[in-house]
Amino acid sequence: MTLLAIIAVLFLGGILAWLSEHWKDGASRWVALLSLLLAIALLGRYADHTGIATATGSAPLWWDSLQLNWIPRFGITFFLALDGLGFLLLALTLAMGLFGLIATWRDVGFRRGFFYFNYLWTLAGVAGVFTAMDLFLFFFFWEVMLVPMLLLIAVWGYEQRIPAAIKFFIFTQASSLLMLIAIVALVYLHYSASGQLTFNYRELLAARLPPATSYWLMLGFFVAFAVKLPALPLHTWLPDAHTQAPTAGSILLAAILLKTGAYGLLRFTLPLFPESSLAFAPVAMSIGAASVVYGAVMSFAQRDMKRLVAYSSVSHMGFVLLGLYALNAIAIQGAVMQMIAHGLSTAALFALVGALQHRLHTRDMGELGGLWGNLPRLSAIALFFAVASLGLPGLGNFIAEFLVLAGSFASSRWITAVAATGLVGAALYALLMMQRVFFGGERSPHQNSGPPADLAPRESAALLSLAVLLVFLGLRPQGVFDTAGPAVADALQHIDATVAGTPDRYGAPPGDTGAVADAADSRWPPSNPERGISP
Amino acid sequence: MSALELHAILPLLVLGAGIVFLLLQVALRRGHRGALFTTLATLAAAAAACFQVARLLDGGVTSIQSTGLLQVDHRALFICLLLLVAAIAITVLGFSYLKHRCDRKAWADSYPEEFYILLLLTMLGACTLVFASHFASFFLALELIGLSLYPLLGFAVNGDRSPQRDQLYSLESALKYLLLSALSTALALFGIAMVFAASGALDFAGVSAAVAAMAGGPSLLLAGLTLLLIGVAFKLSLVPFHIWTPDVYQGAPTPVTALIATVGKGAVVALLLRLFDRLDLFAVPALTGLLGIMAVASMLAGNLLALMQPNIKRLLAYSSIAHLGYLIVALLIGGSAFGTEAVIYYLVAYMITTLGAFAVVGLIADGAVELTPGGSRPLADSGSDPFHRDYYRGLFWRSPWLACCLAAMLLSLAGIPLTIGFIGKFYIFAAGVQGQLWLLLAAVVVGSALGLFYYLRLLLAMVQRDTEATGTARNGVQIAASGHALLASLTLALLLFGVFPQLLINWINAL
Repeated sequence: MTLLAIIAVLFLGGILAWLSEHWKDGASRWVALLSLLLAIALLGRYADHTGIATATGSAPLWWDSLQLNWIPRFGITFFLALDGLGFLLLALTLAMGLFGLIATWRDVGFRRGFFYFNYLWTLAGVAGVFTAMDLFLFFFFWEVMLVPMLLLIAVWGYEQRIPAAIKFFIFTQASSLLMLIAIVALVYLHYSASGQLTFNYRELLAARLPPATSYWLMLGFFVAFAVKLPALPLHTWLPDAHTQAPTAGSILLAAILLKTGAYGLLRFTLPLFPESSLAFAPVAMSIGAASVVYGAVMSFAQRDMKRLVAYSSVSHMGFVLLGLYALNAIAIQGAVMQMIAHGLSTAALFALVGALQHRLHTRDMGELGGLWGNLPRLSAIALFFAVASLGLPGLGNFIAEFLVLAGSFASSRWITAVAATGLVGAALYALLMMQRVFFGGERSPHQNSGPPADLAPRESAALLSLAVLLVFLGLRPQGVFDTAGPAVADALQHIDATVAGTPDRYGAPPGDTGAVADAADSRWPPSNPERGISP
Repeated sequence: MSALELHAILPLLVLGAGIVFLLLQVALRRGHRGALFTTLATLAAAAAACFQVARLLDGGVTSIQSTGLLQVDHRALFICLLLLVAAIAITVLGFSYLKHRCDRKAWADSYPEEFYILLLLTMLGACTLVFASHFASFFLALELIGLSLYPLLGFAVNGDRSPQRDQLYSLESALKYLLLSALSTALALFGIAMVFAASGALDFAGVSAAVAAMAGGPSLLLAGLTLLLIGVAFKLSLVPFHIWTPDVYQGAPTPVTALIATVGKGAVVALLLRLFDRLDLFAVPALTGLLGIMAVASMLAGNLLALMQPNIKRLLAYSSIAHLGYLIVALLIGGSAFGTEAVIYYLVAYMITTLGAFAVVGLIADGAVELTPGGSRPLADSGSDPFHRDYYRGLFWRSPWLACCLAAMLLSLAGIPLTIGFIGKFYIFAAGVQGQLWLLLAAVVVGSALGLFYYLRLLLAMVQRDTEATGTARNGVQIAASGHALLASLTLALLLFGVFPQLLINWINAL
């Protein structure tokens, strides 16, 4: 029930925040803060699961789960469950939600109640995505998080907000419709073969699919997740959405929403379609490597600071894609680490750009320069996160990228070599940004209005706590690996079984498929259980 | 005609009695509220009669043939009930429309009562169409709907305080519908004649035998059925028989637009279901192919044409073309129980959502009618035209409640979760996957992606923060309590069936 409570707290907190603004000005952010803290406290109840259960195989698969009947007509259940991977990402979600709230505490100037409503509902949708273990429910949350995010961009965004918001929404929605078709087709094939109608993730893992069909279904899932990730040809929504979103929205997008794509790949695409994933892996790894290099090059070419950070996300998420499709434990662990570390560092960078924009009303690096003199604290913190983003050893990003490269080298040397050049690009754009904005001769668009104020203690504290976390992840990453370990091993187990060619998993020979499809009951899904017979 | 047969068509009898009563009532004593009350009572009684007949059917028999013309079964009763409930909502809308425009004190020759009589006549036609099992009753019902819709579409012309501009639009709408509807009826009638010539029968059972014996190649019967299908496609406004839709939707009084979009289409969909089911037309590849092509064309053309519409009613018209295309996908998977269930679920979703959208638009326009400038020319300032997208700019901040309702309807039309439209779309996908109609599913995906654009643009116009006061209507929109109640119940149904679809699924399968 705790899982349900976390999601419910966020949903209800959002509604309450909206209402509370009518009663008292500024009350909504306190409501948002309280509901986030409450959700974190609830999540904290699972903290004692972390790090154990790796050595023995005996620990139960889920730390906690909740299953209720929802739409029995289609075998759809309200099935929430949490494991190590889910816990890490849920913790990241709530922590970044809290960070975004505190870092932009005073930035929201109008319609505050509605802003925090959307903010919390996005978080609730993402929390649902990370815990839903019924494919229909997963899709449901996947869509629920979109609308509030759309409104965050469209109402509180910058100049070009409407086109950016619409682009974001259409990309994600169109691709997710492909996923919906793939989900329904998967369920249908499973039903035709086994006579059991279910959307349950665990049960669908046992589905036997003809290879050709499986490949198409895998692509349906892959496209939806690759858009969200984003991977190379499908990334064009990201720079616009990130740049035009308000600071808190950018933090949500970069730190959390992108991770849902990576999570989907790891949780669903790989285990559900092991043989097709295996066949597709070289393509996906190439896309990942191309995203790494492309993101770095594009980042390098930007004048707009926010666009620069946005393109750096493309580059960093390319590492995630590369690591996931290297299909070995080291690289996947690296990808999980990259998800967390990138979440922390990019959220901080967006917060910093937001702080600059708030003070100087520009993000154009051509108009900025030598800010270190006036903003020493902000500049120093920006330096820290810039080098974190380029992968300085001792910080979480380094561990992540190193593991991804080390793991994928075993799978494909040349692709890995190409991706590794992305690290050089990262150093270039990150340091170039530092050099242009914070060093050199002082330039500011508002010379005569006096020096801008440096970071307030509230902002400094929020940013420094992220810095501490990154250092901690860089020095003691083992806790993350132990927590995510079982889930990663579980995902890989299906791949390994395929490689080994175990017949029980990979049973249906290709010729069998037509017969299975023909035998499919024409009354699909079966008659309504509560009536017994079809009308 | 036995007592059982009479009992089975009780909803039609109740409607007929209600019409006669209303005519007498108006002849003796005119009054807007009295007519409203009689109409609501008639519709409610007819709905109750549906339940009564459904109980009759539970006793083992699955369907009752009432004379050669009508056949009553569970599915027809469910759709009949759905249409009646929609009619109740349209009555409430109509009341709000007429209250603002047919003021007896100001205009001595305004006759709001006519609206209700014509509405009930349309309902009688629609319910008869749902029960029809003979080409004679089919044709009669279709004509009854058409004949009562012509004056309704042109209602603003007579005894109405609408600006002259709206009256002209209304006249255009009625005339266009009259011409094109006559054309489609002629086609359908010609088709029926050919079917009769080929099979020698006019009842569905007799034609069904001829269809089963039909040879593969071209034949008179096939030509007749094709013409018949084209006539039906006109009524459903499937592309390329959709040209009348935007003009008629735009010009008609908004409650009538809602009527033609929900009841008018719902009844024809029910007829199409029954026609394909009884005549087993799923086995005729020429007809399913034709429907498939029309479905793809409707999804693509409807959504593409909607992209450029600044007028909300035109936008909803094109969107309804696209939605009928989606619905046909579910219809095409064949005569299985699941296909029927998918069609009916989608129909319910479509009706709730379309009604809700037109209700919001209509109520907003009713509230603005006194502020809208008169004259016969189109308004130069798009911000003061209550049907223009610019009028909705910033609505969310002026009238949050109305905007929330419209937003929910738009999201449902776009098929976003938490709304009934999402479950409807899920049904379409499930049906398409089962029938392996990949091409049609691809068209659904493309169409939905296109559709998102214009739904979102309207949605985002409503939340625009820069609300510079340009027109007089910059304050909140005032609507009547009955309108609020209607919107609340439609939104509630939309969310309830969107989050707990099992309730509705059970009803569809139970009745």
